[in-house]
Amino acid sequence: MVRKYIALLRMKYVEMLAYRLATIVWMTGAVVQPLITMIVWMNIRPSQSDAFVFYFMALIFVERMTSAWDVWELDREIRHGTFSTYILRPLHPIHWAIAENIVYKGLFLVVLVPFWAVLALFVPVLRLDVTGTQMLLFLPALVLGMMLRFLFSYTCGLLGFWITKVTAVYSMMEVVSLFLSGRIAPLSMLPPVLQQWSIFLPFRYMIGFPIDILTGAANRADIAFGFLVASVWVMLLIVALCLLWKAGLKKNQAVGG
Amino acid sequence: MIAVKHLHKSFRVHVRQARWIDAVRHLWRRQYRTVEAVKDISFTIETGEIVGFLGPNGAGKTTTMKMLAGLLYPTSGEITVGGFVPFEQKPEFKKMMSLVMGQKSQLIWDIPPMETFLVNKAIYDIDDRTFRRTLEELVELLELQPLLTKPTRSLSLGQRMRCELAAALLHRPAILFLDEPTIGLDVHTQEKVRRFIAEYNREYQTTILLTSHYMGDVTALCDRVMIINHGMLIYDGELSVLTETLAPYKRLEIHFPIVPSVPWDDYGEVVAMEDGKVTLRVPRDKVAEVSAHVLQHFHVHDLTIQDPPMEEVITRAFQEGLHGS
Repeated sequence: MVRKYIALLRMKYVEMLAYRLATIVWMTGAVVQPLITMIVWMNIRPSQSDAFVFYFMALIFVERMTSAWDVWELDREIRHGTFSTYILRPLHPIHWAIAENIVYKGLFLVVLVPFWAVLALFVPVLRLDVTGTQMLLFLPALVLGMMLRFLFSYTCGLLGFWITKVTAVYSMMEVVSLFLSGRIAPLSMLPPVLQQWSIFLPFRYMIGFPIDILTGAANRADIAFGFLVASVWVMLLIVALCLLWKAGLKKNQAVGG
Repeated sequence: MIAVKHLHKSFRVHVRQARWIDAVRHLWRRQYRTVEAVKDISFTIETGEIVGFLGPNGAGKTTTMKMLAGLLYPTSGEITVGGFVPFEQKPEFKKMMSLVMGQKSQLIWDIPPMETFLVNKAIYDIDDRTFRRTLEELVELLELQPLLTKPTRSLSLGQRMRCELAAALLHRPAILFLDEPTIGLDVHTQEKVRRFIAEYNREYQTTILLTSHYMGDVTALCDRVMIINHGMLIYDGELSVLTETLAPYKRLEIHFPIVPSVPWDDYGEVVAMEDGKVTLRVPRDKVAEVSAHVLQHFHVHDLTIQDPPMEEVITRAFQEGLHGS
């Protein structure tokens, strides 16, 4: 398996280099929306400007590190029939997607971390004032976020075996997640009802949860409960993915050709 | 090697009419229709055989092939390929077969074919030495050297197909499914691909099932053909027998300085009448008589007697139907 991953990672890296421009645009483009949101909030509550700067910078980082595009790829590949070429080979297609995620997120990491470091020299708010424990909790929370978004996206993508253009359904979920994941505003600023919901839904754990750990907005009990809920969602999604995969293959029409 | 018993596959498809009112109605009430793509097909293929799978578009060739490769789930019936049930998706099964689709590429589009080969090397657990040797051989046979480092998207169709074959053969599959491997290729490249397939089969005793629209592929490669139409197997047997039973006619091409105006219909069925040339379809047992008569009574430049083209034979098979030999 290690050899297979090395080969896949290498290939995805070469492929990424072939898409240099797209990768750069894709990375910088995703920064615009949180920046605008940040400026809006800073205008509404100038007294909390610093907190917003830190929150949204962390958001950009976490959002990029957890971003998932697999549903778009699966939708296209199933619809065009090219997915067949993966099913035919003796390795589950999900490994191709995992390898791709590792390569792109590796790139995001090596771009974003030095960028943050340089920025922190000029913007004091960005200097990380976190304890070792916070950092130790942030990292697994980030990994859980990556897993959740990836699994959610891939599972939705598998619905492509039944529905044409499944991305439409996914886009709708993205809008919901925009609010409940903390992308529009920190969760603590949402109406209490939504806050209640967001604790049990998966979206918060995709983006907002790791940031709340970093900003200290979540207390010990919140964090413990958060890890529990996020882990349950990861397991549920894995089960859903396996079931959909089995049923989807039977439904597969292997179109074209 | 391959055994298929009473294989069926039906699809449920949306029925959609073209009128806009139907399109609106369609929003809340979808109508479905069941299409039987494959109806009760049975056959066996022995190790090392090359079998041609013929039929018009939509006859069920590709559907059958996809079931054999484990891509589609059969509605009913049994398939075993190399001792495996394809749909169980066992890695051991996938390692012993390959499906090459003329219209779908397994090569990664924006990077050179070599990258796909390297990925396949890892995925199929091919060791370094075997990989080097196999690749060397395929590169030579398929003349791939200059193509290996160009991005796949910049290759011509023929170049891509050759790389496609190499990618499919790196793990030395015992069974090869070829779905329209020569589609869209020019005559020269078609010829190259055919020669390669024939050589490969001889060398490695690979069992090959091939679908094609080009009769040339089939006549050059296959002794045995299966003809499928409307999802049913209507012929399974030797190619030569098919020609004899289905085409009890020969083609007579007669060249004249000036075509005499006689009722040619009396001699045979007129296929074409051009400037200085008449083409007749004459029953086999009357060929000698008719040609003798023509040569005796008219001033003839040239006269040739041919078997009807394969296309014509197959078309007749589809029209008239026929059952196994």
